[in-house]
Amino acid sequence: MKPFDFVQPTTTDAALAALAEHSPNVRILCGGTDYVVELKHVAQSPGVVVDVSRLEDLKGIELTDAGLRIGAGVTHSQIMADKMIAEHAPAMIDAAHTVGAVQTRNLGTLGGNLVTCVPSMDSGPTLLALDAQVTILGPKGTRQIDLAEFFVGVRKTALEPDELLLEVIIPSENLGKPAGFIKFGLRKGQALALVNAASAFRIEDGTFKDVRIALGAVAPVVMRAVKAEAVLEGQAFSQELISEAATVAVSEAKPIDDFRASKEYRNSLIEVGTRRTLEAALQLANG
Amino acid sequence: MTDVTITVNGEERTASVPPETTLLKMLREDLNLTGAKVGCDVGDCGACTVLVDGIAVNACLMLAGQAEGKKIETIEGLSTLEEYHPIQKAFEEVAALQCGFCGPGMIMSTKALIDQGEELTKQEIKDALSGNLCRCTGYTKIIEGVIDAYEEITGKKVPEVNPRAA
Amino acid sequence: MADDVKVKEKEVTLESLRKADDDLRLPAVPERTLFPKEIGVAAAREQTPAVGQRATRPDGRLHGLGQTKYIDDMFFPGMLHAKIKRAGISHARIKSIDVSEAEKMPGVMATVIGKEIPVNSFGPSYQDQPLLADDIVRHAGDGVAAVAAVTEQQALDALEKIKVEYEELTPVYDPLEAMKDDAVKIHNNESNVYSSKTIKKGDVEKGFEDSDHIFEATFTTQMVEHVPMEPHASIAEWDANGRVTIHTSLGRITLGRADISRTLELPINRIRIIATVVGGNFGGKNEITTEPILALLSKKTGRPVKSVYTREDEFISSTTRHPFVMEYKTGMSKEGKIMARKVRLVCDGGAYCSWSETTLGKACILSAGPYNIDNLHVDAYAVYTNKTMTGAMRGFGAPQVCFAYESHMDDMAKALGIEPVELRLRNTFHEGSASPTGQVLEAVVVRDSLEMATERFGWQEWQK
Repeated sequence: MKPFDFVQPTTTDAALAALAEHSPNVRILCGGTDYVVELKHVAQSPGVVVDVSRLEDLKGIELTDAGLRIGAGVTHSQIMADKMIAEHAPAMIDAAHTVGAVQTRNLGTLGGNLVTCVPSMDSGPTLLALDAQVTILGPKGTRQIDLAEFFVGVRKTALEPDELLLEVIIPSENLGKPAGFIKFGLRKGQALALVNAASAFRIEDGTFKDVRIALGAVAPVVMRAVKAEAVLEGQAFSQELISEAATVAVSEAKPIDDFRASKEYRNSLIEVGTRRTLEAALQLANG
Repeated sequence: MTDVTITVNGEERTASVPPETTLLKMLREDLNLTGAKVGCDVGDCGACTVLVDGIAVNACLMLAGQAEGKKIETIEGLSTLEEYHPIQKAFEEVAALQCGFCGPGMIMSTKALIDQGEELTKQEIKDALSGNLCRCTGYTKIIEGVIDAYEEITGKKVPEVNPRAA
Repeated sequence: MADDVKVKEKEVTLESLRKADDDLRLPAVPERTLFPKEIGVAAAREQTPAVGQRATRPDGRLHGLGQTKYIDDMFFPGMLHAKIKRAGISHARIKSIDVSEAEKMPGVMATVIGKEIPVNSFGPSYQDQPLLADDIVRHAGDGVAAVAAVTEQQALDALEKIKVEYEELTPVYDPLEAMKDDAVKIHNNESNVYSSKTIKKGDVEKGFEDSDHIFEATFTTQMVEHVPMEPHASIAEWDANGRVTIHTSLGRITLGRADISRTLELPINRIRIIATVVGGNFGGKNEITTEPILALLSKKTGRPVKSVYTREDEFISSTTRHPFVMEYKTGMSKEGKIMARKVRLVCDGGAYCSWSETTLGKACILSAGPYNIDNLHVDAYAVYTNKTMTGAMRGFGAPQVCFAYESHMDDMAKALGIEPVELRLRNTFHEGSASPTGQVLEAVVVRDSLEMATERFGWQEWQK
């Protein structure tokens, strides 16, 4: 690796100060499962690396008035082991389980996954389907935005250079909302998603309500399949509608051809993934 | 250069390393603990697996400074002159390792898994070791070794699984 | 009286001395035994006491303890680290290499380029591979320069400062394209086909005429990398007597010494190779890679020099398994008997020969499958392409052709409406069958194994 300076602040204030002081030659490090790999391949030194892995403010999983709060520094393993997540958003555990392998999950964080912001990120679809929000901390305080706004482009988020991702919040009205997640990869473990998908909806008086379908690895950012959602929203429940929504989802996505999979194969995975996650949510909706 | 102090296999050790040094490089080159291996250096193969505060991590992905003050366990710390660790003993008895390069990582992952104290099925063992690659053995003997070690350490039995189902 | 005894003793002694003297004049070799002679051979498949016994590996204990020292675990006093600059371009002429900036970088102790190597070519069959490309680059992983520095990072930093000017040449990646007369010639030969083998047995055209059905199919396999857990690694150092000692993951010591002797113009008795416990070979560590380069760097610096491949180097610069294009034409009788088979194998031979000749030979012989075929014609070609070298890998040509002839068998079984195992049983070798090259086979167990295997796998149950 190119040489750099290493700073390990113990408070978020100190972390923000370090960001400000060393700007623009400063980068954040937490779990390192993406960033250390990047550091091994970059041509230029990042300047100063600020390790936020010990900041208490980035840890913890709590139930608050706003909803379920998950610190940006929480690891995928911690998510998998958490009882509150198991109770209120179990699809997140399915998603965390698909990240890399045990060692990756022990170091890699939810915040890191979101901030690295690759289209195939495993934690994105479920959180998008649950209308998650993120809290961003900056020199002027905190601001809260929808996760959909947080994802700007490939490896680009709404974070300003002097800001830190603090936490992810699943709104209280979506705790316990029936949801399903699926990831297709070339292997069961240590695989990048060819396509991943998450769906969430409620059934009220026999109709589909608050339908969300999120797709990953098929567009520059994790996206909502809004046309597919519209097929179901407010309609009386039927199995045919689920199949139709799955077909419509394919038309909204823009998957690429690459050495892992062809566009055609990805399209078929979008249809299967949408359908299966809708059915998984249905199972939970029916109790 | 920064001084990094870690507790390795029960012993406090300090090394003076450039900040960009990984924990793996520090263990191998500054502390002479060459058990953890460089297989890929990007966290894909698991040959560098060590335990940090009891959990299995890829040492190639952790900067030395991030390990400051933590408790590290490596392959060199399992057996003592008096006692042969059950995992290493089981691996020897079933001839789990061929070239041996994946061994230290495989064994440390196994230790972390068994130490968790959960009841395990054969499939769960396989899933837990999916971060440790082996090119020689086809994994069969390794899984046998893990099962033998698990049964020896916990006294529980891994449920029989139809070999064709797993 | 005493004198008589003494004379007798003296005569006995002289006699035995005379006999000893005569014995010395006996021929130094024993009398020749002429063939044929009885050779004791154990009966086929006779079990020895070792079979069925559990054997623990002698190295298992140290492996498990993490005590085994692989090359990268060895550190010598004053040791330097070497890195190789890879071309990054598949086909080009090198116009110039300038290492002057690299040599000024901190920690850099020496550099080596291809032109400095006394004989810059090696290879197990054809010596067509340079240690460091000095004229033409033939694949993106070709090394063009080497640097030895105090730390690995310093060596990597220095590589960035090496300036190479390339004149791009048109690359050819497809072996079928490369075989054409008008294809770009990668090694300045008349043709990119650098090895060919043919097997002709019986009369295939007549066999096809006599067949009730003709089946044709083309099969392809892909390039595969061995991915040994331990990357290629070596350490070179010289002693006061002008001998170089190389610790290396190389698996073939004598071949390695011969290649190093040739490339460095060094008598072979000045070359000592210590092959250590290797972290996986599978054929990929069967020839030298950086050893002579490290020897030169070590000579220049007077210090031990170590090189360890990165995982990327393993993929782009170490040998891989040959991709094959296999064209099969088989004539079948309606009873499912193979009447004739014609095969064309095109072996993607990569940028350099490596073990392609041997692979081609094996593939050629085995391409007919373990089946009795009286009329056979196999043409096999190894072709240069501007891709990573293809060399020895577990199976050496056998896995590729096996995929082809067995898939072909399944396709034919389906078309003929004959059960796949049954179709094979009608054609497999039996005791005394002749191989495609005329070898009479003994202890033939194909039929037995097939039948035992189908029973154990539950083939019949699985069919339902």
